Amino acid sequence: MQEVFELVYKDLKTDWRNRYPVFGILLYLSAIIIISYMSFMNFIKPEVWNALFWLIILFTSVNAIAKSFMQEENRTTYLYFVASPVKIIAAKLIYSNLYQFVLILISIVIFSLLLGSPGNLNAWFFVNLFVGSIGLASAFTMVSSLASKTENNATLMAILGFPIVIPILLMATSISKQLILGAPASDITSDLLTLLSVNVIIIALSFILFPFTWKS
Amino acid sequence: MLRTEWWKWLTMALLLYVFVGGLLLPVPRLPILNETIRVLYFHVPMWFGMIALFTASCIQAIKYLSKEQLTNDIFSVQLAEVGILFGILGMISGMFWANYTWGEPWSSDPKQNMSAIALLIYFAYFVLRGSIKDEQQRAKISAVYNIFAFATLIPLLFILPRLAEDSLHPGNGGNPGFNAYDLDSQMRLVFYPAVIGWALLGFWLATIKIRYEIVSEKLGL
Repeated sequence: MQEVFELVYKDLKTDWRNRYPVFGILLYLSAIIIISYMSFMNFIKPEVWNALFWLIILFTSVNAIAKSFMQEENRTTYLYFVASPVKIIAAKLIYSNLYQFVLILISIVIFSLLLGSPGNLNAWFFVNLFVGSIGLASAFTMVSSLASKTENNATLMAILGFPIVIPILLMATSISKQLILGAPASDITSDLLTLLSVNVIIIALSFILFPFTWKS
Repeated sequence: MLRTEWWKWLTMALLLYVFVGGLLLPVPRLPILNETIRVLYFHVPMWFGMIALFTASCIQAIKYLSKEQLTNDIFSVQLAEVGILFGILGMISGMFWANYTWGEPWSSDPKQNMSAIALLIYFAYFVLRGSIKDEQQRAKISAVYNIFAFATLIPLLFILPRLAEDSLHPGNGGNPGFNAYDLDSQMRLVFYPAVIGWALLGFWLATIKIRYEIVSEKLGL
């Protein structure tokens, strides 16, 4: 456990030392929110708000998490000898989830500042946001480990990642739409549980499959 | 001497029966569907075949990861290729049929979307393979992606129908399907052999491609 936290701390320190990837993502985030604000300025309905919000999360997520293994290219051999693959993937999953959650909080603040709030943003909306974000971040972390082994990894990140996250994205978007339109919590619990179980599948598979990618 | 295993003869017999029986045997007269109901013998088995081939491809990928034999990798890729072929054929036949019954080739039906996603995943699989040079690494990385993608494709089969209240497909959402009428037992007589026959044809195609790949591997082509 100690080692996992050390690895998370290492990622945090790397991001703190060369800040430009983080600021790059923040700028990217603000740019797409401003673009959507300009394009949807006067005719935004709650359903559109919801779809747009999740699309922005998707694009931010794929760009933010792409770096998680690509930045390790020079350190792979070193990490290979100091830590076991299970600990590395655990640390990466924890870090990308934290990173993504901070980004989502920032984006929801900017997004609702510009595009307004659709009305019903209750606690369940944030629970769903949290669960959906875990799914996206974990799936993209695993895809990043695959894409980092290839030659044109930036494109492959999107090609490989998008089809895989479609189940998560569809579930999360539909739950959040129901909540925004004022559905009671009892309507969405079974869908939320399905979303959670998809997350569990993805995280479990990451732990099983990552050692194979790491060894190659 | 032509070496032909028994299941290849079975495939030929089944498919011959499907073509003759499927086009000539009586079918129930349903509104809108009419004679187009016969597409059931050709369109639906494609999806069964595709899922069977992708499952086999995923199993071969798991075998590759545990044994690291390059043969398993060849099996996995060729099975996935034939699976994609079946998926494309299923999609084209479905869109052609939908154009006449639903009025448009693509109506964002949950099953259509699902098949589009499945094809996207496996096209991505081939792009991934194309972008890694080293043979061992390509086999390993693509096997991992194959398993990962297959495991997320399966929940999709359960999720999409849940999200859509009704599908336009016959038998869903109150549309007349072949289950809803007494005459269905007659259609089943052709439908079940069709499913088995087309799936076997898929595996037959895959074995030919696999043999070809193994031979060209040995010759260093």
